[in-house]
Amino acid sequence: MIPIAQAALKESVRKKTFIVLSIVTVLYLVLWAVILYCLRCYGPGSGDTEFNALAAVMVTQMGLQFSSMLMCLLTIILGAGAIASELETGMIHAILSRPVGRTQYVLGKFAGLAVLTAIYATVLYAALLLIGCAFSLVTVTTLSFEQVVTGWCLYILVPQAVLCLTVYGSAKLRVVPNGLLMIFIYILGNIGGMVEMIGNLTGSSSVVSTGIFLSLISPFHTLYAAAERILLPSGGLAGEMMRGLSGLTGSGRPASAAMYFYIGVYAFGFLALAVRRFRKIDIN
Amino acid sequence: MILETENLSKSYQNKVAVNSINLSVEKGQIYGFLGPNGAGKSTTIKMLTGLVFPTSGKGQVLGRPLGDIRARIRLGYLPELFRFQEWMTGEDLLNFHTGLFRLRRDPERNRRVLNRVGLSGQEKYKVGGYSKGMQQRIGLACALLPDPELLFLDEPTSALDPVGRKDVRDIILALQKEGTTIFLNSHLLSEVEAVCDHVAIINKGSVVKSGAMKDLLMERVTLSVRCAPLPREVWRVILETFDGSATPQREDGSLTLALKDTEDIPVIAALLASHNIKLYELTPHRETLESVFLKVIGEGEQA
Repeated sequence: MIPIAQAALKESVRKKTFIVLSIVTVLYLVLWAVILYCLRCYGPGSGDTEFNALAAVMVTQMGLQFSSMLMCLLTIILGAGAIASELETGMIHAILSRPVGRTQYVLGKFAGLAVLTAIYATVLYAALLLIGCAFSLVTVTTLSFEQVVTGWCLYILVPQAVLCLTVYGSAKLRVVPNGLLMIFIYILGNIGGMVEMIGNLTGSSSVVSTGIFLSLISPFHTLYAAAERILLPSGGLAGEMMRGLSGLTGSGRPASAAMYFYIGVYAFGFLALAVRRFRKIDIN
Repeated sequence: MILETENLSKSYQNKVAVNSINLSVEKGQIYGFLGPNGAGKSTTIKMLTGLVFPTSGKGQVLGRPLGDIRARIRLGYLPELFRFQEWMTGEDLLNFHTGLFRLRRDPERNRRVLNRVGLSGQEKYKVGGYSKGMQQRIGLACALLPDPELLFLDEPTSALDPVGRKDVRDIILALQKEGTTIFLNSHLLSEVEAVCDHVAIINKGSVVKSGAMKDLLMERVTLSVRCAPLPREVWRVILETFDGSATPQREDGSLTLALKDTEDIPVIAALLASHNIKLYELTPHRETLESVFLKVIGEGEQA
């Protein structure tokens, strides 16, 4: 399993898509730093503390949300072809004819990509916090160590959950259809959050249920929202406003323990399904 | 037996790819596996290497059931579709496969296999920059890493030039001397004829002919005899002795017969000698593998 994981990691790092997305990430961080700089230099005066607090929450939320999207996009792009590309090219023949079990192969691929996405997410997360500190962003400078660590744990779990589903897709579908389907499912989660928010605002329980149903299909946003909740706890008017409006998406209520359990079952379930599926297929 | 199958079959939906194949390969043999395109050769090899699951039947490779991972520790396989990680260097690829074989990295082993396949000095270059022939050679080098007891070669010379083909033939023969059993799938019948000691011909998913190469090629011997002109009574005896399938033909001072059995050769010699016919030359001509193959496949098409 270790040689497979190492090769998956090294191969992903060498892929053009990873290099391009890394450059995009750097550009995004630069842009975020520019936004923070503008906020500090040209934002409302210190007299308008409520607006300043709101603006700080908004840019922090924006920073986290877009970074999460980048992270998930990278995970999908790398994971979509993890197995499917080797099946399509026939490269897998020389691998699976060696003393390598199919379970080892799938888990090796997953492990390699999981390590890479975790490193990527950690670097991105650290960069966001460091840039926030550099610009004295109040939402970042006031974070406790526990918040930083818990937020980090939840933040890196998002791409891991996406990866589980993508690896399953890679064992079942060809590269391009899998990538497109995973992006659709990821977006569906965000739409689910919005639908839930709209349902809450309009007081429609059926709309809320629809949103929850979409979140069950794609629970990644729920996981992200939990990370965001840790990093941006409701406090003060700005936090209440954002939370009351559910941020960009969501109900404003924290996910239940049952939902976290569901997400765990969802992620490991799809990984187990990927193994099960791959153990049965003929490598033609 | 180092490899044995019993009624091994594979079907895809309604299509039978391999139908009840029985193979027996002994240690140290070079076993040729022949057949036209789509006959089921690669599917059979994939079942033997654990890539494809049989629909029915069973088999064992290196004393373990088909698909058993432990058998693959001493099993080499060069696939027909030799695609490798192009971003790796030749050395990286060897180290990667060393890991897959659960072996310790050993630069000396790498050097040895590279030298054997004629790629010494190329290991620092990326596989993506290799020619097709070089990629096939590095694939063979990877297959040789565990000093395999059993080596599956699926069209191992498809991308090689004549010199490369000769090199691979030499490698195969050298490996046999070292005790490696080789299962060779190739379209190049002359290549198979040159190296294999046993052959199975497969058509439409079934083995239609198999046996030792010398037996297959000597199954029907064309015998050319140069002798004194045959008197009428001797010619009559020859016609009586050999049935019509021998299609004896005579010209002044020569006689040609298609014999089913090489044991008929001394019979002819004795017959001529007993009639005091001067015998100048007696030459048996073996069939070529190509003629045997075409005949067997042709019979299958007519059936």
